[in-house]
Order: sequence, then C-alpha cells, then structure tokens
Amino acid sequence: MALFRKDDTAMIDRYRWWEIVGIYLGIFAFLFFLLSPFIEGFLVSLKPLSQLFSSPYTFWPENGSFAAYFDMWKTVPGFARYIFNSFFISIISTCIVLLLVVPAAYAFARFRFAGMGLVLGAFLAVSMFSGAVLLIPLFRLMRTLGLLNTYWAMIIPGAAFLIPSAIWLLRTYMMRIPTELNEAAYMDGASQFYTFRRVILPIARPGIVVVAIVTFIGAYSQQFIFALTFNSKTEYMPLPIGLYAFFGKQEVIWNELMAASFVGILPALVIIFFLQRHLVGGLTAGAVKQ
Amino acid sequence: MGQLTLKNVVKSFGQIEVVKHVSLEVQDGEFVVFVGPSGCGKSTLLRMVAGLEHTSGGDIVIDGQRVNDLPPVKRGIAMVFQSYALYPHMSVYENIAFPLRVERASEEVIREKVESAAAILHLDQRLQQKPGMLSGGQRQRVAIGRAIVREPKIFLFDEPLSNLDAALRADMRIELTRLHKQLGATMIYVTHDQVEAMTMADRIVVLNAGYIAQVGAPLELYHKPQNAFVARFIGNPRMNMLPVTCTAVSTAGVEVDLNGQRLLIPVDGLAGMEGKPLMLGIRPEHIQIGRGEANITVTPAVVEQLGQQTIGYAPLPDQEDNFCFVMPGTQVIVEERPLEISFRTEDCHLFNAEGEAYERRIDLSAMTEPPVPLSA
Repeated sequence: MALFRKDDTAMIDRYRWWEIVGIYLGIFAFLFFLLSPFIEGFLVSLKPLSQLFSSPYTFWPENGSFAAYFDMWKTVPGFARYIFNSFFISIISTCIVLLLVVPAAYAFARFRFAGMGLVLGAFLAVSMFSGAVLLIPLFRLMRTLGLLNTYWAMIIPGAAFLIPSAIWLLRTYMMRIPTELNEAAYMDGASQFYTFRRVILPIARPGIVVVAIVTFIGAYSQQFIFALTFNSKTEYMPLPIGLYAFFGKQEVIWNELMAASFVGILPALVIIFFLQRHLVGGLTAGAVKQ
Repeated sequence: MGQLTLKNVVKSFGQIEVVKHVSLEVQDGEFVVFVGPSGCGKSTLLRMVAGLEHTSGGDIVIDGQRVNDLPPVKRGIAMVFQSYALYPHMSVYENIAFPLRVERASEEVIREKVESAAAILHLDQRLQQKPGMLSGGQRQRVAIGRAIVREPKIFLFDEPLSNLDAALRADMRIELTRLHKQLGATMIYVTHDQVEAMTMADRIVVLNAGYIAQVGAPLELYHKPQNAFVARFIGNPRMNMLPVTCTAVSTAGVEVDLNGQRLLIPVDGLAGMEGKPLMLGIRPEHIQIGRGEANITVTPAVVEQLGQQTIGYAPLPDQEDNFCFVMPGTQVIVEERPLEISFRTEDCHLFNAEGEAYERRIDLSAMTEPPVPLSA
C-alpha cells in the first residue's frame, strides 16, 4: 500500500491519514498482545539470572548478553538430543499422516460411496476431542501393544489425532481440481492410479504442502502430552519435556530455559520457511477456463 | 473406419429421462453437429458415446461392435472438452504426449507423433510452454492435439469454442473444418451455437427435450424444417409465426387467410384441412418494406442499427413474441411509427397446430450444386 502518495492509488485503496494511523495502531496492539510473551521470553534469555529476581523488576536487560545460549548446552548436556527427538517424532508423524491422508482425501473428494457422509462426520467428531481426554484409554492401549517408552508411543497417537483435520483440509483443496481433468485422463486411457499419480498429485502439491505444514506444527505442539504420559526414558524425550531439565532442585534457570525454548523452535521455523516456498499459488491456472 | 450407430438410446437420471429413444446413423468421415437449446440432452448424448456416462437403454455401435460396456480407449474415440481440461503442470508437449505415455509408446514414436500433431495445429513454437501461458485458442488447439495423437476413429467435441471470443471462434471454425478435411475422421460436435452448426456440419442433428427434432444438411434444415421447433431454432433472428386459417387446398398449394388477405402458400397440403387454424412462418430476412404479395402493418418498438443490416422488433396483438424483420443495409425506420411491410408467399412456411410442417416445394439440389458448370 502506498502510504502517503495519493495520486496514483485507486480510489478504493485510498485512506485518510488518520485512517492509516488507526490501522497501524490496531495492528500494533494486536501484534503486541500476541507477541509480548515471546518478547519478554527473549529479554529474559538475555538477562543474568540474578537480575530476574531483582526488585523493582526491570524489563530491559542491564548488561545483557547471549551467555545463556552457550551455558544451556552445559547445564543440560542431552539438549541436542531432545531437539532431535522432537524433530524426529514430528517428521515421522507428518510422513505417516501424509501417506494416509493424500489418497484418503482424494477418495473423499472424487468418489461417492456408501457411508461417506458418516465417515466424514465421524472425522469431525474425533477432532473435537483433545488427546487429553483419551489419555487413559490410550495408555492402556499402548501398554497392551507394548509400545510404552518407545518413539512409537508418541508418534502414533500424534498422527492419529492429526489425520481427521488433515483429511478435511486436503479434501476441500482436491475438490477444487476440475473433474474434467479426470475425465480427460480417462478418455486418454489412464487408469485411476495413473491419473492420481501423474495428474492429481502434481496439481494438489500446494495443498499437500499446506497440510504438511499444519500437520508438522500440530505434531510438534501436541507431542508434550503424549511424551509426558507414554514415555519415561530420557533418551526419547522431546523438547518440551527436555525443558524440564532446567528446573533444578533449588531453583529454575529461567534465562537458560528461555534460551533453550528459542533454540528449540528455530529448526522448526527454518523447515516451515522452506516448505512455504513451495506454496506456489495459481498452479491450476490454465487447466480449465473458469 | 469410424461409423457410429445409435439404436434407441435412452438416458435417465432417476425418474427423469434426459435422452429419449434416440436413433441415428453417422457415416464414416462425416461431420455431424448436435445442436439444441440448453438441457436438450445433446451433451449427455455425446458423453454416452464417449463412455463417460452410463447408457440406460439402447445400443451404441461403432463399426459394427456394440461398445456400451467398453471404456473410451477401446471404443477408438477421443474427446475435446469445453473447458479444454489441460494438465496445468505439464508442458504443451507433455499434454499432447499424455495418451501416448499411457500407452507406453517409445520415446521416438512419441516425439514423432507429437511433432506432427503440433505442426498440423501450428503449435510448433509452443511445445515447451505451460498451458497457463497460452491464449484460449492455443489452449483449445492443445486439447485438439491431445485428441489427434491417438488417431481415433471418431472425434467428439463438447462445445469446444464456447469459451472463446467471437473473432477467435470464427478462426477456430475454419481451423476445425480444415482439420476435418485433413484427417478425414468422423467428427461429432456438440454446440448450442447454430452458426457453428450451419458452417461446419455435413449433417445437423437438432435435439429438443431429449428427442431428435430433425436430422439433415444445414440448408435442408433452413429451407425445409420439419417442424416449428426446428424452424424457429435454425435461423437468426428467429422465424416469425403468424396465426392463419386454412381456406382451401389445391394442387397449387394451401390457401390461407391472414387478417382478411387470401394467400396461396406453395406447400403440400392434406385434404380436409380447410377451416383449421395453422401457423404461418416467415423468416425476418424475407421481409421487405412496402406492399407486396402479403402485407401487414407493424409498429416497431425497438430498431437495432447494425450498419450492414437493420433489425426491427414490433409487438403484435395477442402474441408473446415480437414480430421481427431484418432489412439489408442501413434503413431509416422510426420507432413507434406504423410501417407497412410485405413478404412473398413462396418464402412462407406452414405448420399445423401440432407444429408439424407441410412440405415446401423447394428444390434443394439447385442450392447445393452450382447450376452452371464453372468451366463454361
């Protein structure tokens, strides 16, 4: 938006100066509300521990440094492993979800079959439960299957709870792919699987990337509860549980805890940043006249 | 060979019959156009021939083989869709090569066939581009290219030009006619545009509410429509219908009463039709200003000046449709001023109350073949 140049902007995009100020104030207030815990967290990570308990409390760090970002690795030596675990669990969950959801979403988008509405409704109903409600039955199930204290104990429930919403998300995307493409491929002699592989999958790629991102974030954020319940082995702990290591017997090392949180999130941000570049809009342009 | 026979073909969706007992013979190499208003079942009929819709009843026979339960490829047909249905992620080359890749043709065969198809369709320079970068006409040519590489016996076109603008549509009509001559294949073409039907077809099939209203050569439909539906569907603007009463029948024709005038229409009448109400059809382009064989006075409410012709619309008492007339060139016609117009009785069509036509005495062969040898 051209902020103050008025002459060449279309009438519909023109605002008075006080409207622009209002808009930015609104954005600022909203973002501040949203981001203030992160800002405070970052500031805490820069402060020496003693300053955190000083009175009066100061928000701005005096002689702040990045020392906590180096000390944290010494305080909790297994921290790198926790980051890896978090990643490993999320990536495997995402792969499982995609493997199951892509064909399922296609089937729900393209075919009519008995009980389809019921199954879709059941998916919605399932995603209304949070995993926490089902922790005890899940625990018994995991114990029966002998999966407690393994990676699978965190991967399988994580993936299971993400599948319904992923199907809904991708189904909506796939329904927008014109049926004529299926018919044209059928006229040309292609089988359903050939059409799926050569025509539908490439066109659905942006939708699949969106589902991958959403699933990855979901798996990353929900692993805490499953890890806490189904796993007691230190070497399999994901990041959110690993952060507990900064809770000492006498004191909590807050600055290193905050530093560790940011370091732990960083790789996830990088992955999402790269996936996002694959979200090529308008890939269907030119397929059919709309 | 690409000979198609439809025997009593029926398509019903639940209780509703969309295609009702259609029987048709299409000869090898013929260009047949299905035309009709929306919802007349023409697209459904085409999709049944294609194998995209299940046939509820009757037989579809291609080259003597019943193909009702065969997939499209085994029927030896290819189809071009209204929306082009190109694969957006593939280059033009890959789009055209798609049917060959499905067949697992070798790379040399694919290249050779794609390049020859591209040459026919003037797409040589576009092979590496994606469909999104092409214009509407080029996209449609890619879709046609995808159909021709498989060398099918029968081509099906489902309103292929309706997404193009008028100028491009005229160009593509000529292209398609040229393509038909070049390939010599049977082509079945669905459209709601009668200009496309008239200009491209060897034979036109006019469909009305699931029935075939008439099958015939374009000029036959124009000059000898078998019923009022075809008469009003073919020709633009539509034929005017005037209520008349039959007064006498003779070998010379049928005499009718139009607002007190006795007109002798040269059509084959039936004995005993005297006194019955009939419909007199006259095309807008057959009307002149001034007095003639049959005269009426109208008051045009709207006059459209197109430069090359002048079109007037006049409401008639007790009739829903306006009376329409087309004059050549630019004429000075004033709206809301009564105008005396006339037409010749030999240009008239006559229909009974059920809408069936009495056959006109017109020699169609005189129109289709040059009366004087050109070498003379």
